Order: sequence, then structure tokens, then C-alpha cells
Amino acid sequence: MNPLSEVWLILQRELLRNFRSVKGIVLALLALLGGSGAAMLLVKFQQFKRTQLPDITPEHMKELREQALAQVYDPETAKQLSSSPEVLYVVLMLTVWLTPLLIVFLGFDNVSSELQHKAVRYWTVRTRRGSYFIGKVLGLFATVSLITLSMHVLIWVVCIARGEASAGETFAWGARFWATSLPMSAAWCAVATLVGSLFRQPVLALLMICVAFFSLWFLWAVGLAANVEGLAYVYPNYYDKLLLSSKAWTAAGGVAACLGFTVIGVGGGTLIFARRDV
Amino acid sequence: MMAGFLKPTEGTIEMLGYEPTQVDELRSRVGVLPQDAVLPPTERVGEFLVHMARLQDIPKEKAEEAARGVLAEVDGREWWSVKCASLSHGMAKRVQLAQALLGEPEIVLLDEPTAGLDPRVAYEVRQLVKTRKGRCTMIVSSHNLQELEEICDSAAILDRGRVVASGSISQLTNASEEVHVKIAPPLTRGEGAYRGGAPPVPLAQIRELPMVKRAEFDDERMELVVYFERGSVDAETVISHVLWVLLNAQVRISGVSKGRGLEQRVMELT
Repeated sequence: MNPLSEVWLILQRELLRNFRSVKGIVLALLALLGGSGAAMLLVKFQQFKRTQLPDITPEHMKELREQALAQVYDPETAKQLSSSPEVLYVVLMLTVWLTPLLIVFLGFDNVSSELQHKAVRYWTVRTRRGSYFIGKVLGLFATVSLITLSMHVLIWVVCIARGEASAGETFAWGARFWATSLPMSAAWCAVATLVGSLFRQPVLALLMICVAFFSLWFLWAVGLAANVEGLAYVYPNYYDKLLLSSKAWTAAGGVAACLGFTVIGVGGGTLIFARRDV
Repeated sequence: MMAGFLKPTEGTIEMLGYEPTQVDELRSRVGVLPQDAVLPPTERVGEFLVHMARLQDIPKEKAEEAARGVLAEVDGREWWSVKCASLSHGMAKRVQLAQALLGEPEIVLLDEPTAGLDPRVAYEVRQLVKTRKGRCTMIVSSHNLQELEEICDSAAILDRGRVVASGSISQLTNASEEVHVKIAPPLTRGEGAYRGGAPPVPLAQIRELPMVKRAEFDDERMELVVYFERGSVDAETVISHVLWVLLNAQVRISGVSKGRGLEQRVMELT
């Protein structure tokens, strides 16, 4: 049996396991409720803006948005993003910042619980250790991606129904924003599975993943505060800047950076897992 | 280590000519029943077994048939849709055994297969292992020596990681060289009570039997040990002759065994 088939079988099992577990269902519902709640608030805010600031024309509003976005992105990207439906952009930001949390709670026990109860032994006599590990990472990634997709789709529907943007515009921007979140999610999933697989106790795994994620965020924050850009590179969410760029090469650089994180996480995790006692 | 769960600190292990971690080469050729491995609680027995079968490269259309087959073998047909978390300890052990038997493996490693089971389930598991005789090689790791004596043909005794003895069970227990007879205390009251103390064990008469090499009686343990030449006579013939002499001398017998028992052998060696 080739390793790809092994990975595929484990990925399918992980998806089923995650969406059938109480934890998976609760997290998916929370993500959906949180996302739709945020969408409703944003729509209300848009209404408020329209009624309270009637003098500001849509063109002027776009200009203001462009200026605000230019604080984070290059001028060309800021200009492009300023024409996207505001609700969808805010939802992307919510996704980018909340996905690590979703990954922590969904993924902390995907390897550690099977190590703790030695259930992993049923797999290691049948699959290569690498396939098992990669299957776990991909299973987590697929679960998170499906949850965020459902959240985005819900918001697309709200966006169209409330007339915030046309259907074509919503789907085009919505799909792009959701796709932007994927490379960053993959990087977080790899890091979470790598750290989680080092521990046999799920509680310890949860704690250490939180510590690892916080450390990466802290380095990014220090990097920003101290103006040391090199430090910010260790934080996967930093790359949304590149991923949203209007220049294809810059966006590809963002994808490559996130893939680099994923490869390091998966490669390191696989190596360690292949050498450890189970 | 044989299943690849633990790495040896020194030396190498080969299973069917491969290292235990060469999963692809050993796929479906080696089945393992790990001792403490818990079944995934949220999965149903059927889907767990089908998933295991698929990972053993059993084609999709045959995986369910194979899973149902091994589940029937462990007498668990009706557990197909039961969640693993709802299984009792004995049922879970049988499902674990079923996954080890998937795909007709050449070698099945059983780690403490009856540990923690109630006597009935332990008996059923032993019977199950016996029914596999001739179909595959089963390697049982156990601290239950009576069980090993009952179900195994050969054994290796390990002491602090080193093999101190190995061979067939009859070799290890000297079953083809000695017979042990447990003598019961005499009746002191009622009909048939022996007057004048315990009847003496007729040691001289036993020693005179042609097939007997040596005979000893341990007063403290009330045990008669009769040694004979391996190969020249079988243990059953010796037992018949010795019992005949003992019964004629009105000696009460509480037990007879071939050899000294694996437990005693392990106590001597470790």
C-alpha cells in the first residue's frame, strides 16, 4: 500500500472522528454562531454608518478605507482591498485571528490521546508512522477548513441577502478571502500537531500548544514593537499581508512561507514520531 | 519490540526477515493484540474493524466481509454497530483480538491476552487461541504460567531481559522425564479410616518398577517424584504403574502431574 493511500484513509477517519465528537460539533457550532453573530453586528454597523453619516458618499468611504488599509498593506493592495465588501474583509480577519484558537481546541488531543491510551498501536502496526502523522495534520486542517468555509458561506448569504454586495462580488471576494486563510491554517495545524504529539497527556499537550502559539505571537509583537521585522516572520498570521497582496509574486511568497512552516512542522513531527516509543 | 512499539536499546529484531518497523513488508503478515491499548471510544466496532482492514490493504469490497468474519470468530457478530466505548472489558478484549486476526496473519503477537478478564471470558479467549492452532504462529506474552502451559507448544523464559530457558513445554517442565504425585493425608475418622497413622508410601516397591530411574518422597510437601528415562517409556505408562502400587498400599492420592509445572520451573530459573 502506498503512503498516499494510508494518508487518505487516516484523513477520512479524522474527519469523521472530528465531526462526530461532541468537542468537534460544539466547536463547529460556536464558530458558526460566532461568525454569524459577527456578520449581523457588521451589517448593523453598516446600516448605522449609512444613516448616521449620510453625507459621506460611497466613493469617499472607499477612499477612507483605502487610507486605513494602507497602514497595513502596500498602496496597491490597499486600493484593491478597499473595493471588497467590508463585511467579508472583517470576517477574514476574524478567521485569521480565531483559527489558531479553533486549532488548539480541535487538535490538542488528536495524537496525544491516542498515545495516552496506546490506541496509536493499532495504527503503527498497519501504517508508516509518517503517514499516520501527516494524516493527522491533514485531518485537522480539513476539519478546520470546512468549519471556516461554512462560517464564510453563512456570511456570504447574509451579505447577499442584506444587499451589502452583489452575488458575483460576494463569491469572488469571499472565495479569495477564505482561500487566503488556508495556508495560515495549514501552518498552525502542523505546529499544533507537532507540539501535541510530543506529549502523552492531552492536558499537557493543550497547555504546551497554547504556550507555543503564544510564544510565536509574542515574538511577532516584540518584532513589531521593536521594529525588528525578522522576529515577525515566526508568526504564521504575519503572512496575511503577503497573501492578500495584489502582486502574484508577493502572494506566492506568502503561500511559500506558510508552506515552509507546514513542511517544518510536518517534517519535524514525522521524524520525532517515527523515532519515539509508542 | 517485536511489534515495533518500543525500540531495542541494543541488538536487532527481525520478524519474517524484516525489522518490525518495516510496516509495508509486514502488512497483514503480523497481527498484534497490544495489552493496554484502548479501542477508539467514539467509533463503532464495525467501522473500526473495516478501517483496520483497509489499512491492511484489504480491498474496500472485501474489508467488511473480513471484518465481519473475524468478529464472528470472536463470537461478537451482534456488536457490529456498538460503540467501542459501550463494550465491557471482556467484549473489548475480544474485539481487540479480532483486529489482530484480520487478514489471516502468519504471526499473531498476543500481549497478556487474558489479563484482567473474568474466568469465563479468559476461558473463551484461551479456546479461541487454541482454535487458531495450525493456521498461524501465535506468540503469547503472559505472566499466567498455567495458561501458557495449557495453550502453548513452546516457551521461552525471560529474566531481566535475557532468555534463561527455551524449548517445548514438555522439555521445559520435564514432562517426559518425571511424574509428580500429590499424596493426600489419611482419613482419621469414619469408614475406611486408616488405623495406626498414615500408610507409608511404598517407595521401595516403586523404585523396583522396571521403568523407574529414581523415586523420591518429600514429607513436607507430601509429594512423590518419580524419574524415568526420556524416550524409553511414556509418562502415562509410568503414572499407571505408580498409581497401581500406591493404591494397593491404600495411599490416598490428591493429584498427579507430568513434569514439575512451568511455574515451578520459572521459580527455579529466575
